[in-house]
Amino acid sequence: MNELFGVSMTIIASVCVAVTALIFAAIGWIAWRNPVMFKMGLRNIPRRKAQTALIVVGLMLSTLIMSAAFGTGDTLTSSVSSEVYSILGEADEWISWDAQKNPAPQEEQVIPLATVDDWKQRLAGDPDIEAIVPLQRETLPVFNTRTRLNEPSARIVAFREADAAALGGLRDTSGAAVQLTGRSIAINEDLARQIDANVGDAVLLFYQGQPVEFTVVAITPSNVLSGAVDPFAMRGGTVAFDTFAQLTGRGDVADAVIVSNVGDAHGGLKRSDAVTERLEQLLEGTPYRVIPIKQQLVATAEFVGSAFTAIFVVFGLFSIAAGILLIFLIFVMLAAERKPEIGMARAVGAKRRQIVESFLAEGMGYDLGSAVVGLFAGMGVTVAMVQVIQYFGGDSLGLNLTVQFTPRSMVTAFCLGIIATFLVILVASWRASRTNITAAIRDLPETSPVDPEASTWRGYYRAAINGIAAFSLPIGASFFLFGPPGAVLGAPLIVIGLISPWFYLLRNSDVAAPRARRTGEPAPRWPWLLGVFLPVVGWLLILPWYAAALLLVRVVRDRKPEALPRWLAVGALAAWPLAFVAALLQTWRVRVPWTAATAIAFGIAGVALTYGGLDRDSAFFFLLGVSTIFLWAAVTLRYFGVSERLAFTATSAVLLALWYVPSQWLEPITGPLEGDIEMFFLSGVVMVTCGVFIVVYNADVVLPALASLGSRFGRIVPALKTAVAYPLTSRFRTGMTMAMIGLIMFSLVMMSTINTNFASLFLNDEAKGGFDVVGSVNENNPIDDLGAALAAAGVDTSPVEATGIARVANPQEVEVQNRDGFVNTDDGTVAPYSRVKVFGVDDGFLRAQDLKLKFRAAGYATDADVWAALASQPNLALVPADITSSQQGFGGSNLRLRLKPLADGFEPFTLDLRDPGTGEVTTVTVIGQLKESADTFFALGSPDFGTGLVITGQTLAQAFPAARGQMFFLKLRPGTDSEAFAKQVEGALVQASADSLDKLLSDQQRQQTGFLLVFQGFMGLGLIVGIAALAVIASRAVVERRQQIGMLRAIGYQRRMVALSFLMESGFIAIAGILVGLVLGLSLAWVLFTTGDFGDGTEQIDFTVPWLQIAVICGIAFGASMLMTVLPARSASRVPVAEALRYE
Amino acid sequence: MNEFDDVVIDARDVVKTYDTGTVQVQALRGVSLQVRRGEMVAIMGPSGCGKTTLLNCFSGLDEFDSGTVLIAGQDIAHMPDDRKTEFRARDMGFVFQTYNLLPVLSAVENVELPLIVSGTRPKVARELALEALDRVGLRAWANQRPAQLSGGQRQRVTIARALVNHPSIVWADEPTGALDSKTANEIMDLIVELNAAERQTCVIVTHDPKVAARCHRTIHMADGVIVREDSRETMQTAAAASGAE
Repeated sequence: MNELFGVSMTIIASVCVAVTALIFAAIGWIAWRNPVMFKMGLRNIPRRKAQTALIVVGLMLSTLIMSAAFGTGDTLTSSVSSEVYSILGEADEWISWDAQKNPAPQEEQVIPLATVDDWKQRLAGDPDIEAIVPLQRETLPVFNTRTRLNEPSARIVAFREADAAALGGLRDTSGAAVQLTGRSIAINEDLARQIDANVGDAVLLFYQGQPVEFTVVAITPSNVLSGAVDPFAMRGGTVAFDTFAQLTGRGDVADAVIVSNVGDAHGGLKRSDAVTERLEQLLEGTPYRVIPIKQQLVATAEFVGSAFTAIFVVFGLFSIAAGILLIFLIFVMLAAERKPEIGMARAVGAKRRQIVESFLAEGMGYDLGSAVVGLFAGMGVTVAMVQVIQYFGGDSLGLNLTVQFTPRSMVTAFCLGIIATFLVILVASWRASRTNITAAIRDLPETSPVDPEASTWRGYYRAAINGIAAFSLPIGASFFLFGPPGAVLGAPLIVIGLISPWFYLLRNSDVAAPRARRTGEPAPRWPWLLGVFLPVVGWLLILPWYAAALLLVRVVRDRKPEALPRWLAVGALAAWPLAFVAALLQTWRVRVPWTAATAIAFGIAGVALTYGGLDRDSAFFFLLGVSTIFLWAAVTLRYFGVSERLAFTATSAVLLALWYVPSQWLEPITGPLEGDIEMFFLSGVVMVTCGVFIVVYNADVVLPALASLGSRFGRIVPALKTAVAYPLTSRFRTGMTMAMIGLIMFSLVMMSTINTNFASLFLNDEAKGGFDVVGSVNENNPIDDLGAALAAAGVDTSPVEATGIARVANPQEVEVQNRDGFVNTDDGTVAPYSRVKVFGVDDGFLRAQDLKLKFRAAGYATDADVWAALASQPNLALVPADITSSQQGFGGSNLRLRLKPLADGFEPFTLDLRDPGTGEVTTVTVIGQLKESADTFFALGSPDFGTGLVITGQTLAQAFPAARGQMFFLKLRPGTDSEAFAKQVEGALVQASADSLDKLLSDQQRQQTGFLLVFQGFMGLGLIVGIAALAVIASRAVVERRQQIGMLRAIGYQRRMVALSFLMESGFIAIAGILVGLVLGLSLAWVLFTTGDFGDGTEQIDFTVPWLQIAVICGIAFGASMLMTVLPARSASRVPVAEALRYE
Repeated sequence: MNEFDDVVIDARDVVKTYDTGTVQVQALRGVSLQVRRGEMVAIMGPSGCGKTTLLNCFSGLDEFDSGTVLIAGQDIAHMPDDRKTEFRARDMGFVFQTYNLLPVLSAVENVELPLIVSGTRPKVARELALEALDRVGLRAWANQRPAQLSGGQRQRVTIARALVNHPSIVWADEPTGALDSKTANEIMDLIVELNAAERQTCVIVTHDPKVAARCHRTIHMADGVIVREDSRETMQTAAAASGAE
């Protein structure tokens, strides 16, 4: 995997390693400068071993998620790449007819061997080209006369022996050279497995219905010389060129030419650019084109790996967010535990910086341990995920997944884990260092000094100028969202934003004090050191700005006015850069209401984001901005004296309601906004935060209500009493833990609900379309009369109630008018014709089918009217459901036809269908759009799982006479075993494959379940965080409340009552978190589906709640939470009473 | 009622050793003590002499190595933990120096806890708790949390909690240790008054001779043994002397 989110992995890894090295250097610096505080921090680690273990488990999650995501990406990249190398072998480039630029009938799309020989001569001295091998290819049915097993679509190739000599020629699985003459055939391992063939077996190849007998002379590896084309079309064989040319009647032509570069399968790749360029020059003016096929497929492998990594990283964001909350919570609790120690250290002269250093030392101990554990755990998770994908994906994956970890990815995951944890620890340590010394020593609650200007406009003004000054960087950055005008506004703020953090760092130092109070203590030196030693970042982003801040502080420290000039006071709010000047001129050590200041800054950034979102049609930025504004509103209301409960409950409730508003209701105001998978994460974070605010600020109503349920059981009343009281008083801990559990539950519930409903949209019984068996016929051996063919093969056709036949024109045989002018080329331009598959169905199909339509054109009251019209009138068409989707699917091609969304009762419209071979145009009128389940119906029977337009067989024959694809559909009498009958049909018709639609559907469902399991399992890892948080809280509570436990036991609490109280306390938090995630996830999914925000047609489904899955998820979450609390609860119940009473 | 029947605490040869792993400390070296119903007994002695250990062992909060302790005729050494806990909930009240109130509960909720533990219906428990708070003069503060109360008020809440279920014995460990002398006096007035009114047995561990002087008799301990016993009068004289100094 070379890229993630479009950024080179080498760059990501380099930056991560550099930052990690810097972190370790900083820690080394602390250890050297301040060994006492460093040791004080480190010695805390082994103090409570169980707690340390819990902390490491909690902290490891970020690394685990990253290494699992990267490991999966690496595995997919390497597995797909090795498949590519294995199939293509030494073939690097592929020359074939350029049908797009030079339409011609299929049989004319060939390259004369004389032309190829001419190329060989002209390229004879090329230092990069090793071999040029012209091939003839056909897809033919192969039947083993010994085993009576067949393969309807084997890829048979032929090449001249001399041409392939430079590649070592055709070799069998033992490496021996294979000679092909006359009616001998070498079949590859995949085909041999399918038809159970051995050397010496006689096999029949069918060409235009005529069997030709060949003898198997060798079994070869599956590669391009033995017919393998791609991971989904591996079965093939090789015959002598002359024999094949004679069989097909083509003579001295090739269908394609493979070019092999100098070097082995891997080594030739690096010459591909040069060779492709020379071949393009060679082919200029000819109807042929060259594709650097190996390079393209390896790039696809890279893309697949990167895309999967990106998906897993995005899904892992929930767990990472929960993990960050946990890290913060853990360190806040550690700080609380050490409060008296911190107080004492501060009292005897330790500076705040030294407290931070001590915490950092301890934190880095945990961080390092957890990153190592997380890395290996993540690798273990990768192995498990790959096993599950392989198990559920089965053959349909088309490749063998081999677990692979690249050192670069693993180093990156390790460093990212270290960095994320370090940053959170840094913030938490800073918070811990701010404690009041007296309060800390006496372990009293923190109190803040009274601000005489609190809750006044004057105080708010102070908050505003400081907020704007201190957070100019994010405000300025957010302005850049709306193009050049935003850049003009944002640039000065960014400059200020680079200086102002240093100014605020220096503001309380001696260097900023007025002359009378200065003691001569030097300004902090560490920013200089950082600036000098950090290459690029230090010189550009630290040194000049720290110097500027120092200069400013020195200039203004003795020149501060008694009061700000009026013009500046007013101007600072109008012209924001002036806010920095106002902040600079503030009286020394003026108290700043930082919460309000931060909220104001983020409120401004929120407005910019909202505007930027509207400007760029981005739902993400718009809703992020709006949500930020609501946060500002809540803090501001509180600042002006509105009760915290009211402020946060009201704003959270309104914001939640806003998230539920369907996008079409907002569209008249906002215009159409586009959102992608990132909305999933944003909605989760914002909605769960709102939910948690509402619950936590109203917990005194919610928890007693929950508790009242339990109060019916008299014996647990005492335990309930304390179980409810503690979470109510520790809002911060309760809220954080609820948020962690809520976030993960939200993601799991949403995922499971979305999946269930999409499955019911695509993979329901409607997808059988009224038929039971689907078959695909080899294009070189069409069946004219299916019934007769079956009867002739001795199949009892009495179970067949109805038969439908569809002729199929594949996308390369069809050009269809790009009616709505979508970009339909790989180079981003709009060409007049797109490609699409077309199904031409016969009368039997039209009579027997039971397919559903999504939209009908005006004038057609029912689905039956549409089907009847199709049967009776020529040149009518139906379009597939996915043709109007903005998503072309994973790795979908631009070339495919797209249409603007339709609606029920749309005006019938025409589409021109052009035969690229003849240039003939047939115009069809679209009168309906198939439902998603109908798309699935056509896809299930197609070898390429493709959907397409539906017209009648007659129209297809007229529009695309050369189209040779054929499918058949059988409706069986009730009670017939469709799987057995399909096998019977397949055995009888050598040129056709047949499958039970029931089986195909259940295979698809099974695959989907497998992938869902992988994603849910991956996202569920985050639950470890929530559960670990509960365990950490409970363990900490046992220590904190030791004396109280002693007292409870003294006044008569039985041991089990104490344990029960702890369990119920965790239970309440877990239940509240689970409910928040469950209610929000389910309700949002419901809104998105019922309003059609999940895509056209989703509003038509019967919204299904996967109660069983949800119950299992909730059960696991709750059960695990309880399990993790059992140990602390048990230890609480065993606290020796007398000893506990003495504990302080 | 004969004299023996009147003995509510009957401890004989109680030995308690703390084993820290490296050092063994004998906290009680064969202590015997009888306390009668309604009696207020003070336990005095220097730090580390075993006063608190005596209280913990006699009240069933801690185990001891050998000897017997009969409370109202019941051998607490051989009682299973659950029964001992029930016994404490029903028949004992505790007052500690550091109050040991639950900070997350209001005053009335703290007081009603022992009742709820003993199975009293919540509504009845609330009424009784309010009555108890009334008796200690804190009805008006019933809904305040401990952090919102002064030290003396907190100790009154503790006393209310200790007395709410009308226990036969109240154990108090330095009940005035954390209070100034005026508040300490008020608290002792309250304990004496309640003792007189309810005829509960009180065992009070204290350093303060003035507190001891308010009790019927004072047991002096040193190095884990009882070394002397003084009457109220003797202690009053000693307290007066220490006050004069």
